Amino acid sequence: MSVAVYWGCMIPTVEYAYELSLRATLPRLGVNLVELNGSSCCGSPIKSVNRLAADYLALRNMAIAEKIGAQHLLVPCNGCYLSLVESLHNWNNDGKRRSEVEESLGREELALKGEVQLVHTIDFLHDVIGLEAVKAAVVKPLSSLKLVSHTGCHLLRPSNLLKVDDPEQPKKLNELITVIGAEALDYPECLDCCGAGLLLSHLESALSLSAAKLMVVQGLGVDGLIDSCPSCHMMFDAKQEASAKATGQKLSVPVLYYSQLLGLAMGLDEKTLGLHLNKSPVEKVLGRTVH
Amino acid sequence: MTLRDLTSEAISEEELRKKLVGELGLDCQSCSRCLRCTSGCTSMKLLELKPHFIMNMVKLGLIEELLSSGTVWTCALCLKCKERCPQEASPSDLICLLRNLSFQKEENVPEGYLKVVSSILETGFIQGPMEVVSKEFEEYDRENLGLPKIIGPSGAFSDNLIELMSKGVE
Repeated sequence: MSVAVYWGCMIPTVEYAYELSLRATLPRLGVNLVELNGSSCCGSPIKSVNRLAADYLALRNMAIAEKIGAQHLLVPCNGCYLSLVESLHNWNNDGKRRSEVEESLGREELALKGEVQLVHTIDFLHDVIGLEAVKAAVVKPLSSLKLVSHTGCHLLRPSNLLKVDDPEQPKKLNELITVIGAEALDYPECLDCCGAGLLLSHLESALSLSAAKLMVVQGLGVDGLIDSCPSCHMMFDAKQEASAKATGQKLSVPVLYYSQLLGLAMGLDEKTLGLHLNKSPVEKVLGRTVH
Repeated sequence: MTLRDLTSEAISEEELRKKLVGELGLDCQSCSRCLRCTSGCTSMKLLELKPHFIMNMVKLGLIEELLSSGTVWTCALCLKCKERCPQEASPSDLICLLRNLSFQKEENVPEGYLKVVSSILETGFIQGPMEVVSKEFEEYDRENLGLPKIIGPSGAFSDNLIELMSKGVE
């Protein structure tokens, strides 16, 4: 199946490992990714300065997807996914905001019907591709690994708009981990925030939040933390060392994107999955997947 | 009769309160101060954010006092308050709207947000493609990773954005 993909800002400018691993794994599940040329920021950070401009940013990306005839739009970033869903809700329910955005879209020769189906990596793999098909693509089950997952705030709440998973007890990412052979543990802090939302205003507090969650995961004695959002991943992986320093802790937690873990189970090599770009000690996980 | 906070001498801004509440499409009067938002707030322990307090300040019209304190920028945007409020009053939406007002009044907006705004106006994205360094100190960018070139927005994009951003909430 052909699926348009909207990468957002974080993935194509710095979180290359997510893009590499999705580009490597999805074709093996029969998915052909179609690029969204001319796309822009999703509006998520702009929502804090001007809500109308945020709606325009979000909806123009959806309008581009509809212009190229996409049925599904894959949005692998949690922040982008929430922005698009929320702005579409505003579009459908607030006539004044809608007409202002419509006018701007018109000047870009764009028009929105609001029919393209939005999917995130987690529900796309779990519900559209399906657990059975994911399982069938596994050539090297990761049965030696014990892991925990982090779904992320902006894929769960508010649940009146987001229907990806249960807002208080998410289970789909755990099921995706289990289906490729690894063990996924429940833990009480699974809903704790990564801190990325404070990066632009209170850096030290943002790092305290990522450190607090990583300390919990480290204490569980698991092999690693699995996520599926570039902002959460940046906090736990690239900023792990800074989080440790800011809080005076010692942290050594392997953090992988789910798409990287899936690629390992598909037998793909580390560089294809961008594992050489992870800053956390992923070599501890790789050592355990070698049979 | 105008309400006055006897500690800070702040005066209630009734018109602005009505405008904010109208814009938001919900009534913060419905907040019964059950504190469910504050008890689960990500920023409460770290930065002393109390979402119920913000609801109450707006209820009283003490909006300028809130904006000058900068407290609306301590929210981590985790949206637990919005999810869990039994009155569906959504403190996080109110906080977002107050941030918009802060930006409009050029008051207390963290520099990080201003940088992001100018980058989006310039390139369409929060930042341009960066060079990253692996643990083995090898340098990587999109090109040597074999990733396609990013094609960003053009045409009326930045003019549209500038025009929409000039439309405020007040």
